[in-house]
Amino acid sequence: MPNSAAIVPEVQYATIKQQGEVAQLGMWLFLVNETLFFGALIFVYFIYRTTYPHEFAVAGKDAVVWCGTVNSVILLTSSLTMVFAINAGAQDARRAMVVWLYATIGLGCAFLGIKGFEYYLDFQDQVVPVVNYFAKPGEGTAGELFWVFYWVATSLHAIHLTIGIGLLVYMLWRIRRGEITSVYYAPLEVVGIFWSFVDTVWIFLYPCIYLVGRS
Amino acid sequence: MRIDVEPRRARSLPFIIAWLILLVLAGVSLVTAFLGVGVWAPFAQFGIAAMQAAIVFILFMRLKGPPSLRWVFAITGFFWLTFLFGLSMTDYATRKGWPSSYMPTRPGITTLNDGP
Repeated sequence: MPNSAAIVPEVQYATIKQQGEVAQLGMWLFLVNETLFFGALIFVYFIYRTTYPHEFAVAGKDAVVWCGTVNSVILLTSSLTMVFAINAGAQDARRAMVVWLYATIGLGCAFLGIKGFEYYLDFQDQVVPVVNYFAKPGEGTAGELFWVFYWVATSLHAIHLTIGIGLLVYMLWRIRRGEITSVYYAPLEVVGIFWSFVDTVWIFLYPCIYLVGRS
Repeated sequence: MRIDVEPRRARSLPFIIAWLILLVLAGVSLVTAFLGVGVWAPFAQFGIAAMQAAIVFILFMRLKGPPSLRWVFAITGFFWLTFLFGLSMTDYATRKGWPSSYMPTRPGITTLNDGP
């Protein structure tokens, strides 16, 4: 097991602090791409919704609002536990860091579990375009567009969240090897930035999907 | 209260307060969907989402604090997003009959709703 005191910067960096800062900037650069990726998706939604407002209002009523709301609370909470894990790591509280990371992973898995149950309910409700779809009265043919957006957006988000969970498990493995300590915890910060970004994507998907046509 | 997001010195309380504010905002967003405020509901909901995103970006993703170069990267994403939205809108905004909720469709124009 490597000793944390032996952590030295890679050859291209002067200090371990500089290496950490560059790692963070690298993640932010990646998130610029992600912003455009999800931004384009939400722009498409905006165009659809303004073109077919009534059809989207009718179709949106079938979204399972309690699932979306509970998942919002879960993701917002997971961002908090992620921050606690980073702070614990930086403040040399290894045990707390591991506990908060497990809590974050647990919340991520809970989100995916609820999402899976919601997909099951959606299938029962026949709102799966192509596979099992039945247009409700008033939806017209454009209602299906809402559900295409729903499935594309939520599955892309779920893939990102799954990657995030995988990264957290990888962090636990690195902590176990002594590679993440109060001396060098930048990898944990980088994963934390990614995790909270995925949370932010959900913050915008929530009103797009679950709050349409409720009144 | 001075908020320090630097992990070595950060305290839990500011993050817990931020988390509570995020939950309250999520609740308010949910309530606006059932208030019957019509076209204003999405404005409120996406406004709230923007506020929540700002809190997450600044505190949980630690835009606050050094290195300030992070701001350049974060703003760049939204800068290009503005281009994406703006240039795409030059097409849609000049189309006749769009958006459909505010402008009546002219006779003879077929929309997706009309079917085959």
